[in-house]
Parts: sequence; C-alpha cells; structure tokens
Amino acid sequence: MEILALVKLALDTGQLRVSETKVDIDSTPLKISDIDRNAVEEAVRIKEKAGGRVRVITALKYGPLTRRQQEAESLLREVLAMGADEAYLIVDNALINSDQLLTAKAIAATIRKLGNYDLIIAGEATIDGYTSQVGGPRVAAELGIPVITFVRELRVEGNKVTAKRDLEDAIQTVEAQLPVLVTVTREINVPRIPPLLQIRAAMKKPINRLGLADLGISMKSPVEVTNIVPIQVKRKGVIIKDGTVDEKVDKLIQALIQEGIITPPR
Amino acid sequence: MDMTKVLVIGSISDLGLIGLAQKVESPEIHYLLLGGGDATQLGKYGVTKVYTLSAQVDEASLAETLVNLISTNNYSVIITPPVNKYFKTTIPIAAQKTSAPVLVDVLDLKQGGNTFEVTLNGVGNRAQVTVKVTDRVFLMAPPARFKPVEKVTTVTTESLQPKAITGIKVVSTEEKPKGKVRIEDAELIVSVGRGFKKQEDLKLAFELAEVLGAEIGCSRPIAADLKWLSEDHWVGLSGHKVRPKLYMAVGISGQPQHLAGMMESKTVVVINSDPNAPFFKNCDYGVVEDLYKFVPALTKKLREILKK
Ligand SMILES: Cc1cc2nc3c(=O)[nH]c(=O)nc-3n(C[C@H](O)[C@H](O)[C@H](O)COP(=O)(O)OP(=O)(O)OC[C@H]3O[C@@H](n4cnc5c(N)ncnc54)[C@H](O)[C@@H]3O)c2cc1C
Repeated sequence: MEILALVKLALDTGQLRVSETKVDIDSTPLKISDIDRNAVEEAVRIKEKAGGRVRVITALKYGPLTRRQQEAESLLREVLAMGADEAYLIVDNALINSDQLLTAKAIAATIRKLGNYDLIIAGEATIDGYTSQVGGPRVAAELGIPVITFVRELRVEGNKVTAKRDLEDAIQTVEAQLPVLVTVTREINVPRIPPLLQIRAAMKKPINRLGLADLGISMKSPVEVTNIVPIQVKRKGVIIKDGTVDEKVDKLIQALIQEGIITPPR
Repeated sequence: MDMTKVLVIGSISDLGLIGLAQKVESPEIHYLLLGGGDATQLGKYGVTKVYTLSAQVDEASLAETLVNLISTNNYSVIITPPVNKYFKTTIPIAAQKTSAPVLVDVLDLKQGGNTFEVTLNGVGNRAQVTVKVTDRVFLMAPPARFKPVEKVTTVTTESLQPKAITGIKVVSTEEKPKGKVRIEDAELIVSVGRGFKKQEDLKLAFELAEVLGAEIGCSRPIAADLKWLSEDHWVGLSGHKVRPKLYMAVGISGQPQHLAGMMESKTVVVINSDPNAPFFKNCDYGVVEDLYKFVPALTKKLREILKK
C-alpha cells in the first residue's frame, strides 16, 4: 500500500512572538501541526497492517528560508521517527505567505511526481491557519480524487475504505474505493511517542527537497498579506492563591460583586 | 462603474451575509438558497436572483454545481457561512477548481477598483490580518457579524439540478444526541475541562452554574474525546466562539486553541490547582485551588449570599 501523509509545519501559536503592534512571524517557532501527527499515526498503523510505505509531504510556508530549512528538517525527523519512511520538503520563496491555492497546487504536483499512491491522509485542520482547506479538499480537487473529511474511524480492506465522519449533528459512515484522500480528526488515535532507537533510525531516512521549478509551477499567489496586528486583550491578572479555601471563596465573590456580575439582594 | 457580481450561499437564516456583499461597490447580488425558505425575503436587501437546488446533495455535487454557476455568471466575490463541516468541505473544492483563494473569518471588506482589501482573524485567532486580492475570491464569515441595509428589488428564482457525483457512498447516518444550548449567546458561562476526573463530577459545575444562572461550556476533550457533554457546549478554535460577561474556566489548562474561542469574554475567572497553568496568564481573576474543594465551597457561599 502506497500511503502519503500531508504534514504542515505550523506556527506554534502558543509561542507566538508578539509586541504591541506586530506579530513577529519570522521568529515564532514552528511545530508539527498537532492533528497532522494523528494523520501520520494513522498512516503508519495502516502500513503496519497492510504493508507498503508511508511518505510524508510538506510545503514550507514560513520564512526566512535560510533558517527555517534546518528547523523544518529536524521537525520532519519527528514524523520519520514515528514510522514514516521518507519525507518530501517543498521549499520555495514563492510559497512563503502564499495562499492555499498555490500551496495545494505544489503539494498535488509533488504527489503526481511521486507516481503511484493508494491513500492520502491529512489532518482535519492546522493549528495556525485553521481553514481546513489545503491538506484535504483542495489537494483532492487538484488531483481529481474523492475526499472524505473529518474522519474519526478508518478501515482499509483491500481496495475499499470505510470511514466514520464526525459531523456536527451526526456520525456518517461512508465507503469509497482507493485512491482516496482522507482527513482525520484529533480523536482518531493517540500519536505514538517514538523510542530513542526509532529517533536514531530516523536520522538516516531520506528528506528530499523540491522547489516549484522542479514541479513545473510558475504561478504567483493571488493573495498578498499587507498587515498582521496582534489581537491583545488586557486582563487584570489578579491571582488568588493564599489563605484557606473559604478565604479564597470570599475574595472571588468580592471581585464578582465589584465587576457587577452578581448583585446580592439587600 | 461596472457592477461587481456577488454570490451569497447559505440558508435563509444566513442572510446577514448580504451585509458583507453590500460592502462591494455597486454589487449585483445573487443568492444560492439552501434548505428552502421564502426567497422573496431576500429581495428586501437588494438580491436580484435566487437559485435553489432541486435536491439536497453531498459536498462533491454541491461543489460541482457551484463551479458551473460561477463560470456561467462570472462572480468576483462568493460569500458563505463558515460554521459547518459541509461548507468546510465544499468550498475549498469549488475554490481550487475555479482558481480562487478562500479567506476565512472575515471581518471587513473594502474595494478599490478591482482590488479587494480584506481584514480577517488569523494566526489561530491571535491576530488581525489584512490582505489584498484581485480577481475572484471566496469569503467565509459568520452572518451575525453583518447587518444588511434594506433595498427592495424584484427577485427572480431559478431551480438548479445538481448532478450526483459518484465516488463516495453514504452507508449510514447516526444522529448525535442534540443539545439545545446556544453557548454563543450566553451571558454567563461556567466552563469545564479535564480537571474533572469523572463525568459524575460535572454536577459540581452544574450546581455552580445553576446558582449563577450560567450556561455550561467545555474544552474540546470533554465533548470530543470523552463525550461527557454534547458539542453545543464546546468552546474554542474548533468549537464555538463565545463572548459572555463572565467566563469561569474550571480545570481547563488554557491552551491557545481554547483561548481562541473565549478571547472576547468580558471578565475571565480561572480555577486551577496548578499555579503554572497557562490560563493564569490570560485571566482577570485566578484562583489556585483544587476544584473539588473550591467549587462546592463557592456554590454554597453564593447560595447564601444570593439567597437561592
Ligand atoms: C487544531 C486544534 C484545535 C483545537 N480546538 C480546541 C477547541 O476548540 N477547544 C478546546 O478546548 N481545545 C481545543 N484543542 C485542544 C487544546 O489544544 C487542548 O488540548 C485542550 O483545550 C485541553 O483541554 P483541557 O484544558 O480541558 O485539558 P488539560 O490541558 O488536560 O487541562 C486540565 C487542567 O485541569 C487542571 N486540573 C487538574 N486537576 C485539577 C483539580 N483537581 N482542580 C483544579 N484544576 C485541576 C490541570 O492543572 C490542567 O491545567 C484543539 C487542538 C488542536 C490541535
């Protein structure tokens, strides 16, 4: 079974570098977007059952490239340690800050270049953009294959995929034939934490780099980002930590009265 | 000045989005009305053409129908509500096939000639981002954010026949237990997280909420993994965005994806036994205490004070 896992190296929004007026994207660290770990985990589990290989594809979206490439490679080692066999890293200045249209074209072109595939797995959404576009529906549309989104249970038997989709008001069970693209939710599995041995072994696994020229893509992003202003909320930050439980209760109740949230009857 | 063609897609209750469409310079507004409803109502706000579908269809078929409609009418702006997974699947397919970007959680739009300047919430809801786009663009925004102005027009209606796309077969659909909470509209919220050890223990929070007259919110694991509460309680980046007067987070660590859903709360109270919980950096009042001791004591005292 040829499985591809799509992974985003996302901005670590928990460590966003912000000043009063600016979000400093360039110095905010990247991390594997959480749900993409679930995607890799699911891919590796299917490989362990059905045989075959898992190749990971990622398009680097944040600059500066000189520094980010190293960061990207060490992050990719993490998913290689989880059991993926090989990684493809698309690096190109044109992808920095580009929109999802171009990113999806680059990923789809890479997939075509790799040749045969049976199953493509991605996360339901990324932690930074959170638009649910690229890894799922856009890449599938570009490849002209069906997409099954928001999957929390996945079964592959021979050529047939059965999936449970976690929708707002229902669990929908669907079937499709391979090849198909599936996006998974966080609840589908618990991603493994690779043992040291695997981490060492991952150092030897190949990470292949590609640029847009290698993929025959020359288009520009239709979207230009002109400004990013942090949303900042000033909070009072009063910490109540000393005293007995009852004393803490009294302090909080005083605060709630002061804020006009509760009004004791006279 | 040429008319700019705009398509709004949604149910009749999404008509707030016409307010966003009206920000375009001399718009010609069409509406793809899903799920039935009175099309003439849309004519009150300047919609000239309403399309309906002859049948309910899956995401792939709706995407195909959209692609055809867009190429027939050459829309510059296509506006949809973001709220459900149906749209989150359909819209990117249609956008990729019509070579257009999709901007999500849109706040505002200004047009200068054939360029649109769009502001939106981005970077995991941590920043306001401004972008420029030319040509065609899809915008997703919550309908409640906009208020269409009245402008009575005559509406013509046309029914579209979507083609079924084979590929994915629905075998069964199992309804989820439905909650009736509209947490987005709640004034006071007591929100629970994994600090609660058992489902039964949530009654501590329910009792507190009852005294306060608050609704119950929760973090993602409580609704999605543990299923202790239905999804209408779920607050955060992937759940509901809330803006209450009081947000009291009990046993929630305060990860950025949770904070993304409650940033607009007025007063934030955090109850957590770990003094290093990240939520303490984003609160007005933070109580460092075991919830199992603190919550019952708080409930008891509030009952006395509020005479309930
Ligand atoms: C793409 C993406 C989207 C996400 N969307 C959402 C979302 O919409 N909403 C959301 O909530 N999460 C979301 N998450 C998950 C989020 O990152 C966190 O994992 C989640 O919010 C943690 O939930 P929690 O705070 O309840 O649990 P934990 O992080 O486990 O925190 C439990 C807290 O309880 C405290 N505690 C334990 N015992 C006690 C006690 N006896 N008394 C008092 N305190 C105690 C602990 O100190 C801890 O701080 C998302 C994640 C991703 C990757």
